[in-house]
Amino acid sequence: MSVAIAAGKSGPLARLPQGTRSVIYRLLAMMVIAATMSFASEAFLTSNNLLNVLRQASLLFLLASGLTLVILTAGLDLSVGANVALSACLAATVIKATGSVALGVSAGLGAGLLVGLANGLLVTLLRIPPFIATYGMLWILHGVTYWFMKGETIHGFPAAFRAVGSGYWLGVPIPVYVMLLFLVAGILFAQRTTWGQEVYAIGANPEAARLSGVPVKRRLVLVYVASGAMAGLASIIYLARLNSAEGDVGEALTLPAIAAVLVGGTSLFGGVGSMLGTLVGALILTLVLNFMNLLTINANWQPLVTGVIVVLAVFLDNLSRKGDTR
Amino acid sequence: MRAFSITTLAVAALAALATSGAARADNERLAVFTKNQTNPYFQVVRLGTEAAAKQMKATVTHYVPTKPDSIPEQMNQIEDVIIKKPDAIVFIPVDYKAMVPGVQKINAAKIPVVNVTDRSEAGTFVTFVGASDYDLGKETARSLFKAMGGKGNVIAIEGVKGSLTNIDRVRGMNDALKEFPSVKLLAAQPGNYQRVQALQVMENLMQSFPQIDGVFAANDAMASGAIEAMEGANRKALVVGINGTKEAVDAINAGKLLATGDYNGFLQGCLGTMAALRSLRGQPVPKQIVLPAAVIDKSNASNHTVPVEQRGCPRWEDAVKG
Repeated sequence: MSVAIAAGKSGPLARLPQGTRSVIYRLLAMMVIAATMSFASEAFLTSNNLLNVLRQASLLFLLASGLTLVILTAGLDLSVGANVALSACLAATVIKATGSVALGVSAGLGAGLLVGLANGLLVTLLRIPPFIATYGMLWILHGVTYWFMKGETIHGFPAAFRAVGSGYWLGVPIPVYVMLLFLVAGILFAQRTTWGQEVYAIGANPEAARLSGVPVKRRLVLVYVASGAMAGLASIIYLARLNSAEGDVGEALTLPAIAAVLVGGTSLFGGVGSMLGTLVGALILTLVLNFMNLLTINANWQPLVTGVIVVLAVFLDNLSRKGDTR
Repeated sequence: MRAFSITTLAVAALAALATSGAARADNERLAVFTKNQTNPYFQVVRLGTEAAAKQMKATVTHYVPTKPDSIPEQMNQIEDVIIKKPDAIVFIPVDYKAMVPGVQKINAAKIPVVNVTDRSEAGTFVTFVGASDYDLGKETARSLFKAMGGKGNVIAIEGVKGSLTNIDRVRGMNDALKEFPSVKLLAAQPGNYQRVQALQVMENLMQSFPQIDGVFAANDAMASGAIEAMEGANRKALVVGINGTKEAVDAINAGKLLATGDYNGFLQGCLGTMAALRSLRGQPVPKQIVLPAAVIDKSNASNHTVPVEQRGCPRWEDAVKG
């Protein structure tokens, strides 16, 4: 920890851009957690367990990756969890009704994307603040899902489909490949494309972005569509892993996804943050649960431990950045 | 968004019914309160109340919070219902303590009310109809430990910490554990009644424990999550859940799940409604009806495969003895 602080003030890291440094500090925070865990439990540093953590983080990362783009524009998408629920239930219904996995997957992905598009249009065309628009959307999606699921659970899908969630390729879980694919795509999009740079510009200063010729509304619609589409993809992974869908699957997903983005160093005020940071955020949140299970920490203490570790991880980063503000 | 709720639709249906002409003598109107639209259990309870009402020629209107288990929303619904003055109320509190003021409002309005599933901490009720979570936890755990041959390593996946159902189910399991000294409880970890959390807990615990022989999950969704986790890792253990959902019965028939404790929401819905109607019609009702703890396993799962929609309520005399 003291090394990190020193580095923040005058070390070799000081020359790196602030975003990169921020990610490095969060990686350090994550490694501190991981190192502690490897001392505490010998099961932690095994390839099986690490792959297990990556697989568990993949669902959270997929949801959080689209959300990262939204938050980079100083927006918010509160409907991601409800979107996962609706998309998963729709995909499940279609697979059961038609027997076609391809149709079901298309339905799930399509539903997710359309919800994102609706969010984008609410925010841009109707000028509804993102918090309100997506909060309203959350309720609409819950309403539709509860109505057509009627409290039922749909379960039991073809083995080939389930492999998407629980299968392996070359010893690595398939969701991990999906996560890495979208991590690379997300980094390339955000850092290497004009559109990506425009997303940052909108978050930093929308008026300046508009004056310098950025099509602000179209880019905003794009980020909400991305967030919705990623929720649709997450719903497919969810369905394949859990082999079942019920109306309330998404409820517990929204806040952790937002937390993963913020713990990863993306600012709620827009313009600052990165995909890699969001991956680290998702990993930190997943590690905490893994850690508590491996040590079989008493159920009564788990919420408290979760809270303390999350706050500590970000505090460590703030501490290391003190140099920047002076 | 409320346009989608069963409540609103049902209220509209009731309004249409009320204006459609004179009600029959035995056409009592009942208001049924359940906790949410997401948990299959409450859906089954609602179907039970409808089956009983149909058999006894009464009508039910459902009140379900749009936000699952919302205390303020159920309180508002109670106030709405008191104004409509149904003949009786069948009531599952979203919280057994927090809803007491709501029960007192119903009592003050002199509307007879039957308490179902979660026993309210206070208030005056015609009767209470429910299952014993403690007995279910104990009996289901017993059947697991017996199937393990009375020895081996067990993992418990608990529900929401602090919830009444979880406290009693886990207490029952722990007491059953005392009867089997060779069964070792490796870990009890929280899955919050959520499928995905139970899956992750199981994946994590399999890393620490190379040999797991049995899994006790405090509900069926978590039992399914644990089974998925083990299938993903090519491991096997005997698994039990609680609630007796359709999904669990299917899993038992498929040989994936050992057993599930039958919470029997359908029967609870039936008997709650029948008790309310009986008391309105001046027939005797006992002070409380606690269903015996029944465990569904391979030997009797076929009795439970009839879709709930097609089931009828049993005769009162057969279901309520003594």
